[in-house]
Order: sequence, then C-alpha cells, then structure tokens
Amino acid sequence: MSSLVANISSAITHPARRRFWLTISSGSLIVIGLIARYGFGMIDLWWVLMVAAALLAGSDIAVRAWRALKVKHLSIELLVTVAAVGALVIGEVWESAAVTFLFMLGAWLEMRTMGQTRGALKALLDAAPATAVVLRDNEPVEIPAYAVQPEEIVLVKAGQRIPVDGEVTEGTAAVSEAAITGEPMPAEKAPGSRVHAGTIAENGLLRIRATNVGADTTLARIIQRVEEAQEEKAPSQRMIERFAHWYTPSIIGLAVLAFAFTQDIRLALTLLVVGCPGALVISTPVSIVAGIGRAARSGILIKGGQHLESAGRIDTLALDKTGTLTEGKPRLATMIALNGTTEDELLRLAATAEAGSDHPLGRPIVEAGRKQGALPTPETLDEHAGMGISARIDGRDVAAGNRRLMDKLGIPLGTDGEAGLDRLLTAGQTPILVAADGKLIGLLGMSDMARDGAKEAIARLRNIGIGRVVMLTGDQQGAAQAIAREVGIDEVHAGLMPEDKLDLIRQMKADGAHVAMVGDGINDAPALAAADTSIAMGAAGSDVAIETADIALLKDDLGKIPEAMAISRATLGNMRQNLVIALLTVAGLLAGVFSGHVHMAGGMLVHQLSVLIVIANGMRLLRVPGANKPAIDARGGRGQTAVAPAASAST
Amino acid sequence: MSQNTITKTILRSDELSCPSCVPKIEKALSALPGVTKAAVRFNTGKIEVEHDPARSSVDALVEAIRGTGYEARPSAF
Repeated sequence: MSSLVANISSAITHPARRRFWLTISSGSLIVIGLIARYGFGMIDLWWVLMVAAALLAGSDIAVRAWRALKVKHLSIELLVTVAAVGALVIGEVWESAAVTFLFMLGAWLEMRTMGQTRGALKALLDAAPATAVVLRDNEPVEIPAYAVQPEEIVLVKAGQRIPVDGEVTEGTAAVSEAAITGEPMPAEKAPGSRVHAGTIAENGLLRIRATNVGADTTLARIIQRVEEAQEEKAPSQRMIERFAHWYTPSIIGLAVLAFAFTQDIRLALTLLVVGCPGALVISTPVSIVAGIGRAARSGILIKGGQHLESAGRIDTLALDKTGTLTEGKPRLATMIALNGTTEDELLRLAATAEAGSDHPLGRPIVEAGRKQGALPTPETLDEHAGMGISARIDGRDVAAGNRRLMDKLGIPLGTDGEAGLDRLLTAGQTPILVAADGKLIGLLGMSDMARDGAKEAIARLRNIGIGRVVMLTGDQQGAAQAIAREVGIDEVHAGLMPEDKLDLIRQMKADGAHVAMVGDGINDAPALAAADTSIAMGAAGSDVAIETADIALLKDDLGKIPEAMAISRATLGNMRQNLVIALLTVAGLLAGVFSGHVHMAGGMLVHQLSVLIVIANGMRLLRVPGANKPAIDARGGRGQTAVAPAASAST
Repeated sequence: MSQNTITKTILRSDELSCPSCVPKIEKALSALPGVTKAAVRFNTGKIEVEHDPARSSVDALVEAIRGTGYEARPSAF
C-alpha cells in the first residue's frame, strides 16, 4: 500500500513521470470519446471527454507556460496554451484535445530519444567508479574515488574498474581499456605499467600507486573534452539559431496580422501551433551530439561541430611516416662487417660509441650491443650534429654515423663499402657507417616497421573517398619508399624539413584540396596547424595532443583514421539531411496553413513528427560501423553525398 | 556579501528535449536568490550554476528546474 502511495506521489512530483501519465490519460479519454461519437453517436459524451482530455494535458502545459512567464520568458508552451484555450472558446474541442495531447506525447518521445542520443557519453560517465579501496596503515579501506590521495596505494580485484590513474606497483592483470581507447583486446599490465581510471581488470589483483584522481584523470579529461566538443556550435548551427531567434516572434506577429486581415481565428491559432521551429533548432545539435558521441566510444576525440564539418569534407590525407605510419622504433635489421672485422666486434664498437649519444637511431644498436655483454666506457666522445659520433674506445678511434661523417673524417668507403651502402639504401634501410682507426669496418642497417593494420587503413581511406593519400617525411627517399610500398601509398615526399611539410600542405590547399594531416605533433606541428583538419595519434595520457589537435586518436591505431573520417562524413551528411527535413517541414506547414489544408491538430502532428524524424535520423549515427566493417561505410558515404547538393543549395 | 561563498554546482538532466527549454531554465535559475550565473548546455544536458549555497541550496536549484518541468541531479563533473 505504501509503495502505491510512493508511486503515485512520485508520479505527481517527478515532472517526466507526471507528464507521461497525463499523456496516457488524455490519450485514453480521446480514444473513448472517438468511440462514443463514431461508434454510438453520443455527441455529448464526446464533447465532455474532449474537453476533459484538453484540460488534463493542457493543465501541465499551462502551468509551465505561466512559470516561464513569471521569469519573463515567452515559451513555446505559452503559444500552445493560447491556441488550445482559443480552440476551446470557439468550440473546436477536438482540435484543442488533439493539439495538447500531441504536444505532450511528442515532448515525451523527444525526451526519450534525445536521452538515447546523449547515451554514448553516458557510458563514459558510468565508466568512472564511485568508490576505491585504498591501503591505509596496511588495512584496506573503501572511500569515494575522488578522495584518494596521490601516492596512495589502491587495490583492484578481478572484474573491478580501476578508480584512478596510476602505476602498477604489484601484481599482474589483463586490463580492458575499451572505455579509454576503444580497443577491445585487454592489455597485460605488470609492475611499472601505467593504468587509467575507468579501465577494467579482467583478472588478477593489482596494487596501484595513484597519480591522478577525480577530475584529473584521463577519463575525466576525455569526458570534459567530449562535452566541450558537443557544445561547440558548428557554423550551420549558429546560422539556424539566428534564424530561430526571430522565427517564433515573427510567427506570433504573422498570427496577429492574419487575424487582423482575415478575421479567421482558426488560421491565427493554427499559426501559433506551428510557431515552434522544433525540428530546425534540433537538426544540427542532434547530429553533432550523436556523431561526436559515436566517435568517443571508439576512442576518437573530435573537437566539436566545426571540426566535424571540416573533417567531413576532407579529400586529401597527408601522413607523417616515423611514429605515424611506423612504430617509430627503428630496429637493427642488417649488419655488414667489412675488412676482416667480425660482426660481434662491429656491434660492440658501434654500440659503445652510440651509448654516449641519445640519438633515437642509436638506441637499438646499444640494446643489441648490451645483449652481447657489458660495453666498455669510451675514453673520449665527440658528437657531430647531423652526422654521427666519434669516440676513443680501448685506444682505437671509432666513428659511427652517416656518409657525411665519413667524408668529414676523410675515411674512404671503398668498393665493398659502396656496395653495402647501395644494398641498405635499396632495401629502404637507414645506413650507419662504422669506422675504426681511419678504416671502414662495416655498416649497420636500421629499419622502422610499418604499424599493424597500416595497409588496411590506407585501403579503407581510399574506399571511403579520400582520393589522395600522401606521405610526408623527413627521412630519406629509400626508407620512405620502402614503407610506402608496404602500406600502399604512391605519393611520397621524402627528405623534408618541417617547413617543407608546411609548404606542401599549403600548396595542396591552394590547389583546392581539403587536407587532413596526421602527425605526432612535434616536428609536424606547423604542417598540422596549416591543415584543414589535424589528427594526432596516441593521445591517451598526453595533454598536448588532446588540446591541440582537431581530432585526437586515443590509441596508436591507424584504423581509427578511416573510422573518424567515416563518422565525420556520415555526420556532415546527416546534418544536411536534417536541415532539409526541417526546412521542408517549416515551408510545408506554412504553405499548408495558408492554403487552408492544415489545421491545428494536423499542424501539431506534422510538427512533432518532423522533430522525431530528425532525432531518429541523428541516432543512426550511433550505429556507424567500426574499423572492421568497411563495406557498409562505403555504402553510407555514397548515400549521403547524394543529399549534399540539395542541402547546400537550400542553406 | 563576500565573493568566496560562491560555488559552482554541476547538474545533469536527461530530459531536455527542445532547445527552447534552455532560456526557460536559465531564467528560472537566475531568478533564485544568490545565483550569479546559470548556463544550460542543451547538447549534453549539463547545467552549470554559480551560486551562494547559503542563499540557494543545491536542492533549491533542483526544485527550480523541476518547476520548469525537468528533472535534474547534481554531478561530480
């Protein structure tokens, strides 16, 4: 009994539930009334039921209209109230009941569907656990997640969500990072690994030293970034809002004028009913919220409607090679020992010299050298910027570097040296020449691996209509060509300085292309800034990438680039479709009203239907397929381009 | 009235269905005593209010929003 009372009281105080029950009741009365009139000819009962239905549904609308009026706001509810009361006064009880009922029903359905559109982000919000178990005085204590102090040790058991950002100090576990990166495969975490709030320990038991908690976690920053992006208004949305701003007042004015000139009260009231630009004002936001939410679910942060619009127009994609198309971690691929030196001796001397340098090409040599045994300490060390390094090791003068270093030191390559150099360059490897006591003792070939899935990603980009894919790299032609061949890129610009990349991007734009640039954000920064859309990879944990790029991929996965492009295109198309639907509805309604074909109930029905259609269309974006289903994307892409010309003509 | 009593409260609502409710809720919140700023974000359903909790509590904010016809709840971020 008490639960029934509680249910009834919550149905009265909870606005959405109250409206739901008012709508159901009012609808039931209308149905009974229609049966009474057309089944049994009971006109009087019909009349009473219609008035009751109008009052039931209309009461809530009128109360809200009055509350808004008290804070000096002319609301849509006020227009509907005036129209419904006016209809009752002139005896149009059916129109009054239908208008109020449809307004309530439509608003309820719109609320439900809009909630689902926002749902993509809700999953992220729900990923943050509310509580954490921390060790205090060696005792596990459960506290709110935001109350964890940095440096505290957090315990996470199998199946639990990790509540903070931190570093594993003890234990191992497979951690599903889907909430952050969209990557379905769990990652193995061991002491020293970084973990993020919102990820799930699938098994094992972890002790984590907290580094960031609450609003400072990567998850919270991502949510904040996505929300800012969803709120950032696209240019088309701003235009519509300006339009909507004067639409409602001018419809009211039109209603007054129409009545003054025609003395037709029904015409004036109908105009009030269609006076809400519902579908129009919701058309762009609903697409953007759904599109950005869908992208966020895959670990793709698109920084707002404006960037969605420009990314949707991209036809040319420029990619950096090192660290973008490749792992960015060169490996020692080939060793050519010359002039009687053994491979072991060649590696030992090169590794010892490189140990004194922090050049990225040197690191894998040092690692390989250390595997053979401890390296001696060089007696002297000289770095030659842009060329290499020279050192005195065990009384020998060792040099390791490029050809220019050998030329500078006056060391001849000889025929064997030239042949080895050719072999490495043809294979696309970066050569490091090693000399001892003025004589070439061998060559090391360094190569960088293309990322997994790079080839598929490039093919898919072409599939969805990115006609021109270009590699821009500071590396030399041979290495660039080797990777380009492997991943299927035919246009390569190698040996570029950062400003050369910038010039190339500018040139492409000057030729009329819409250019996106993918880079690691450091030496590519000028080119990224010049591109129409900048895309940064591997942004998880990196504030700079999240803040500066137009699109940030939370994971180093090239497959996310075509996915981001597909979502942007689908969203741009969706927005245009919605605009067309909304504009046609407004035009159709006004034409219908003035030609006398649309009356109050019909006008409300069409209006509410158009809003629901626009929301339902936007929700389709939540189902844009992920990286592994290219065929459906390509089809969706073509479908939308067909709508584009009509839309751009009408905007 | 000292400045430092003003706090920022974030509320969330799943029920905003038409952008026309944005100015309605903002005006209703701004009409409360001690509210210095109210911003309703339609796209995300996020409502940001800067207010003096001594003059208008978080519950009063929720009640004012309910008065305009929408249910909202406080949120950590």
